[in-house]
Amino acid sequence: MAETAKGKRQEYTTDFIEADIGKVSFLGNLHIDNIMTALIAMGAEIWTDRRRIRILESLLAKKGVNRDMVEQYVPTAEEEAAWKTEREVLVDRMFGQFARQTDEFDVTSAFKKK
Amino acid sequence: MTHSFRRRSVMAGTAGLASTAAAFLKGGTADAALPKGTDVEPRGSNGMFERLPSLDLESSEQFLTTLRTFVNREFSRSANRSAAKTIAAKGKDPLADYTHAEAIELLKDDPMVAMRTAMWQRLQMHSWQNLRREFHNNYDAYMSEMDAADNIGPGKLELNANFDYPEHVKHEIHMQPGGYVGDPFAGHLYYYLTMNFQEGRDFQDERHIARAAAVPLPADGKVKRVLELGCGTGRMTMALKNRFPDAEVWGVEVGAPLIRYGHMRAVDRGIDVNFRHGLAEDTKFPDGHFDIVTSYILHHEAPAEISRQIFKEAYRVLRPGGLYFPIDLMTGSSRKRTASATARYSEWIQYRWNHEAFWIEYFDMNMPKEMSAAGFEMHDDAPPGYPNDKANIVGIKPA
Repeated sequence: MAETAKGKRQEYTTDFIEADIGKVSFLGNLHIDNIMTALIAMGAEIWTDRRRIRILESLLAKKGVNRDMVEQYVPTAEEEAAWKTEREVLVDRMFGQFARQTDEFDVTSAFKKK
Repeated sequence: MTHSFRRRSVMAGTAGLASTAAAFLKGGTADAALPKGTDVEPRGSNGMFERLPSLDLESSEQFLTTLRTFVNREFSRSANRSAAKTIAAKGKDPLADYTHAEAIELLKDDPMVAMRTAMWQRLQMHSWQNLRREFHNNYDAYMSEMDAADNIGPGKLELNANFDYPEHVKHEIHMQPGGYVGDPFAGHLYYYLTMNFQEGRDFQDERHIARAAAVPLPADGKVKRVLELGCGTGRMTMALKNRFPDAEVWGVEVGAPLIRYGHMRAVDRGIDVNFRHGLAEDTKFPDGHFDIVTSYILHHEAPAEISRQIFKEAYRVLRPGGLYFPIDLMTGSSRKRTASATARYSEWIQYRWNHEAFWIEYFDMNMPKEMSAAGFEMHDDAPPGYPNDKANIVGIKPA
């Protein structure tokens, strides 16, 4: 975006009261913060994979399947339904563990039955 | 009981929704009205929904919506069980009544409750940031699109570049960057992120169409002019035009970027609705001008004192026999506010960390009583406006 063009436009905006959400820590535990950091690192891994997909798209384009065809593709209702289920499975696989109760056992617990 | 308004049959209203929505879509003239070269719609529209401009952004929003659903349901159930155990471990009754301060003290250290808050907060911030990046990175194209639409009909858009904004409208409610008044793309951001709030159930404005269908009629059935207060991006306003095609329909909104976006969307679809940049408590319309005034999720985002002023303003601009139908959280008679520790804690989180600055005072306000004080004759058995409610309140201006 051109800064000069931005300055000339009428935006119909005003000053606002900024939320202080960026300064809060909800978890208050170093280990959980570390998990959050690990999730950010996982994001970097996902981007790495995505870049690989971009390269594959470029290669496919040379075979007649271009990126615009992928962008414009409208999924069928069946595909949407199936992919929704897949997303739910993905969410459960990635985040389901967080729903586990944390106070059932601790590291000192003996076998219940041996 | 004799009513001074006409209560549409809930069943009839529901049964008619599919055909109503279909007619609405058919009536629109998608991408027909904006000047050539200004319409930024790289991936086209699906009915009423303009697809996000990139596949990656769309997929990211889909994922965040699914994650939000998980946090709101499975994870919340688990967090609530954890909260109950935590409260019981402190020798307290989880279902007893508590103040906000007591609830915070009981639950502030529960890790499950904290994780729920963190997951929800991070996914919402992630969504705001992704969307904001898209529109600001393509500032000129999106601003040019709005500029081109501002002076095109069929409906009017009234903007005031020198508007005097009161402080209460300047909060970043929902943590939205810039709030409703501070970011030129506030309409774009709000429109797409509230798809996430609705968990993917409002892509075709279905919920807004259902809400417009619930609006009762004045006893004489005459509807020439309709006003929506705090209309946001105008989705309800457009649905009201669909419901009342022969009426003059207006939306008033303090966030100019919201109605600029809403107007552009209406232009794009050839829908004749009018938007005014203004305050819900001071609309500048003449006395007795409207047959119906409505609002959708306005009052919980306004200070209670401003809500009282809005009730008076709605009363002023209605003609005798006209009605005000405010749709908001728990304006229905089927759900009641509770004071359990988890409910109070949840109210605190909404207030403090979703930056719903007026959330608690809204729930502390007795809306029917305040509307009655403004002059309205009150009823609590109008058709439901909000999802899961069984009824809604409605105020009649005595004839």
